[in-house]
Amino acid sequence: MKPFNYLTPATVEEAVSLFGQHSETAKYIAGGTDVIVKLKDGWMEPDYLISLKKIEELSELRKNENTGDLTIGATVTHATLEKSIMIQKEYPIIYDAVSNIGSLQVRNVGTIGGNLMNAVPSADGAVPMIALDGVALIQGPGGERSVEVKDLFIEPYKTVLKPGEILKKITIPAPAPRTGSAYIKFGRRAAMELPLIGIGVLLSLDADLETCARARIVLGVAGPTPMRAYEAEKLLTGKKITEDLLRQAGEKAADESKVRDSVRGSAWHRKEMIRVQVRRMGLKCLEMIKRN
Amino acid sequence: MTIINFKLNNDLIEYEIKDHWTLLHLLREEMGLIGTKEGCGNGECGACTVIVDKLAINSCLYLAIDADKKTIETIEGLASTDGKLHPLQQSFVDNGGIQCGFCSPGMIMSSKALLDGNPDATREEIKHALAGNICRCTGYLQIFESVEAAKHTGGAK
Amino acid sequence: MSEYNVVGKRIPKIDAAQKAMGRAEYIQDVKLPGMLYGKILYSKHAHARITRMDLSKALALSGVYTILTGEDVPEKMRMGFYKDNPPLKKDKVFSFRDEVAAVAAKTPEIAKKALELIEIDYEVLPGIFDPEKAMEKDSPLVHENTKSNVLKLPWKLHYGDVDKAEKEAAFVVEGRFTTTWVTHCCMGTSGAVASFDAADNLTIYTNTQIPSLAQKDFLEALKAMGLKNKRARVIKPIIGGGFGSKLDTYAYEHIAILLAHKCRKPVKIVFDRPEEFIATSTRQPTVTHIKQGCDKNGKLLFRDIRMVLDNGAHTSWGATTPSVMMMPITSLYRVDNVRYDAKCVYTNNTYSQAMRGYGNPQATFAIESNIDMLAEKAGIDPIEFRRINRNHPGDVTPQNFKITTCGLDLCLDAVEKELRKSGTKEKGVGIGVASLIHVGGGARIYKSDGCGVIIKMDDYGKASVFTGGTDMGQGLDNITAQIVAEELGLLVEDVHVVHTDTDVCPWDVGAHASRSTFVAGNAALGAAKKIKAQLLELGSKELKTTPDSLMLKDRLIFVPGDPEKSMAIDKLLRKIHFSPGGTMLVSDHFFDPINENMGPDYKGNMSMTYTFGVHGVKVRVDEETGKVEVLEYVAAHDVGQAINPLLLEGQVYGGVVMGLGYALSEEVMHVNGKNMNPNFRDYKLFTAKDAVKIIAPVIQTPDKDGPFGAKGIGEPGCVPTAPAIANAIYDAVGVRITTLPITPEKVLAALMEKKKNH
Repeated sequence: MKPFNYLTPATVEEAVSLFGQHSETAKYIAGGTDVIVKLKDGWMEPDYLISLKKIEELSELRKNENTGDLTIGATVTHATLEKSIMIQKEYPIIYDAVSNIGSLQVRNVGTIGGNLMNAVPSADGAVPMIALDGVALIQGPGGERSVEVKDLFIEPYKTVLKPGEILKKITIPAPAPRTGSAYIKFGRRAAMELPLIGIGVLLSLDADLETCARARIVLGVAGPTPMRAYEAEKLLTGKKITEDLLRQAGEKAADESKVRDSVRGSAWHRKEMIRVQVRRMGLKCLEMIKRN
Repeated sequence: MTIINFKLNNDLIEYEIKDHWTLLHLLREEMGLIGTKEGCGNGECGACTVIVDKLAINSCLYLAIDADKKTIETIEGLASTDGKLHPLQQSFVDNGGIQCGFCSPGMIMSSKALLDGNPDATREEIKHALAGNICRCTGYLQIFESVEAAKHTGGAK
Repeated sequence: MSEYNVVGKRIPKIDAAQKAMGRAEYIQDVKLPGMLYGKILYSKHAHARITRMDLSKALALSGVYTILTGEDVPEKMRMGFYKDNPPLKKDKVFSFRDEVAAVAAKTPEIAKKALELIEIDYEVLPGIFDPEKAMEKDSPLVHENTKSNVLKLPWKLHYGDVDKAEKEAAFVVEGRFTTTWVTHCCMGTSGAVASFDAADNLTIYTNTQIPSLAQKDFLEALKAMGLKNKRARVIKPIIGGGFGSKLDTYAYEHIAILLAHKCRKPVKIVFDRPEEFIATSTRQPTVTHIKQGCDKNGKLLFRDIRMVLDNGAHTSWGATTPSVMMMPITSLYRVDNVRYDAKCVYTNNTYSQAMRGYGNPQATFAIESNIDMLAEKAGIDPIEFRRINRNHPGDVTPQNFKITTCGLDLCLDAVEKELRKSGTKEKGVGIGVASLIHVGGGARIYKSDGCGVIIKMDDYGKASVFTGGTDMGQGLDNITAQIVAEELGLLVEDVHVVHTDTDVCPWDVGAHASRSTFVAGNAALGAAKKIKAQLLELGSKELKTTPDSLMLKDRLIFVPGDPEKSMAIDKLLRKIHFSPGGTMLVSDHFFDPINENMGPDYKGNMSMTYTFGVHGVKVRVDEETGKVEVLEYVAAHDVGQAINPLLLEGQVYGGVVMGLGYALSEEVMHVNGKNMNPNFRDYKLFTAKDAVKIIAPVIQTPDKDGPFGAKGIGEPGCVPTAPAIANAIYDAVGVRITTLPITPEKVLAALMEKKKNH
């Protein structure tokens, strides 16, 4: 690993300012479980590594009791989310996604912000944030701005963040009543997997407990960036949800996906998994709603 | 060079480090604590697992500089000074949890972090907690038995 | 077995405590004063000519001591079974893992940096990556000095009259089965530290399963370097897993020797994980065409097998795996007519090595999958079919294997009992079985199959046992200590086993072929018997009785039933030492099993006894995703006598999970010779979360030739796993998967194909 200087600002402003001083040769680091791998492999060779770990406001995990908004600070670790009873109960899709990222050792250190900023198509953390209509708050030399998580990614390893900008937190609006959500990572093993394909589904029902008020179908590894299957969502919205309709949504989502062949798996199988798992996750959502 | 202060297995340590050192490098190469192993260097095998402030982490993906003001537990700190094994270590010995032994320090540290926080961990919880510690020799079964047996012999404090 | 005091007991591994404490020293932990670090540069192409090399920038880097290329390798320094592989390649590279240069530097970081500064130009040549294509006439040649890519190493074994048997058969089935590269994944990566003394004698610390044979290779290396009449001392640190990977000497060891000699300083080379994946050898990939037939009662009449093995670019022990494949082909079940032809074919892929089972898993995958197909065609229950054809004690198989003990029937019973507990068949759930035969009494691969042991007794009743055998985690130290303690009436803690150093340990051909318990165990027993005879003789004088009336037990020598005639063994030893005309108690024993090298017709009783086993599995197949879930696993083995059930179970569990990986998840992915997944993220080893419950019935059929009746059990655990899984999948959903690993993708594709055809 090429030597670097490690800087530990206490505030976002300080971090942004430090970046400004060393812009060409500086990189931000949060948990480091992706960044350190890149440093070791020489993909990244900064002279200054600016740590976000000591910035207290970034590690906030809080639900606003008045608005119902959930705030997840960028340096909240996967393990913190996994262990949170509130997350387990109210945001099962987040729990499903973060509880199987890498190993426990990685989840104890790796952060949700880092998972998003690494911007790989297989980022498990992105799917629930998109399904929950999460909004990313970003701060940089030009001040603050907000971007919906679904619009955060441009291509593998590239986000809309400009040099010097920091992802501060994700805000998730209060989920509608009668909402269920679930995520499945499909891989060969039960753990330590990058998903072959990741499928997240969120459904909210009307008071009749039949009609779909809102549908979110989000796919990981189905294209260069995590993506929503808008057509599939449209197919469900406003209609009475049946298993058959979910099957059709699965077909539609598979058609919308931009899966491709890789050494890890073939496109046709990935499509098949989207077909099957959209339906299964949809059914799981319905069960959840009924249970509550 | 940066000076860090941390607690290592009950000792207070002040150490002059380079910013880019990993905690694994500090422990193994600088301090000579060879019990922590490097199996992959990428956080994919768990051989380098140590406990930082009660959490199991991969020391190969953790910068030494982040250990500043933290409490670090490594495999060397488990046995008592009179040489008596920690109940978890003893249980791994007695129940066949160790073959070639290369994964054992990491495996035991992951198990300790688990039982310290969840003394009644079930088989499923053990599997979830140890999923990041690869073992090629045992097929894991005797490792699970080792952890379970230690619950009743003081492995869980 | 209550007649024993130590044998048969669940005694924890004697080195486990230091491993649990992190005190065990592996090659990673070895540091010598003034030591330099070596790193190896590998080819950038699968097949290319080296047209230019410029080391100047790398040599100019501060901290670099030297750089070696193929030019610096003595002409006669060659590795592998064929001696066709120099440790650094000159002029031409044949695969991505070919070593082209090596650096010695002050730190590993500098060495790595220096590699980046070495400039090499290549002229890329067409590569060949498919062994079947490489056999075609117009295929490019991997080695220009050969006429064909097919090795002149034909494996050809014909017994009986296969064509006639086929005509007479009531039922015949055939199939094509393929297996791919998998690799050992030892948690401790490969490495060596080479060091020369002032007189040019070599000491090498290295991960090896063959210390004595490695010593021979290194002495030849020294000779090639012009260092004649020098000593080579091989020291094994504690090994972080073997599984066959350390049955040869490798480029990194030879390179460490060359670098150390050139720099006059110790040089350490330790692989990082990607290097371990790329530059160590794999299990041999195979393409197998198989045909088997039986009569109307299910009696197996013939086996007709053609096989092509991807040899890779160089020839190591992987090319000899057909010798072991022959064992299940001729001798798993009674079969009179056998035809087997195997060809090893050069390609520009990685080359293969020994790996647990040594060809047996590949052959058994084809045979046992195909046996289920045959049983189905004959309308016979697959377990019953195996019962009809099972081996019996006293059988001599067509290859001249003399079956002494055989618990195959008992294994079938045990597996059937566990698997068929619940009678009802659920949709998508199925069971499958597969059997195995493996060498259990050594294997005469070399001219000798021997192992030496020396025992030395000290003043305090302790025994130091110097064994040629190698413990690499499997627990030979325990087996040795338990055997010696049993024979000498000592406790296991009284026995110190030394297996680390060719300067003190006797000769042995290595830890392979599940031979250690049987061969090194018998050698230890032989040496212990000699000490025992001396103790009884000397004790009889001391206790005024006859030697044959004396017993050794619980650290005492005594006449049973006579409390007057009893003495502590340590006291007796001190008396022997501290008397005029005293003596010391040292014994040695060399055990070479009575087994045979295979003749030109490949006949010969390779092993003194054979281990049998049956694996049974219940799976659930998700018919929409193709995912296979293992619900139950039963692995019954006929082990002769369990010396240590705790360690035995460990061997079985570990073997089974390795076999499950082979069956379901593991593969080294190569694209045009390039390894695409050199990491634990994409090379899918089973994790703790994937682990399944395994029931391991131990069938004991004490073998008259085994130490206390024991047979070898190191490898069998991973032999029949894949066909058992494949058979269970067929039972569950009616699709036959014939290529490994059986991924969800393959299962789903087969299910969709089946649906289309119905």
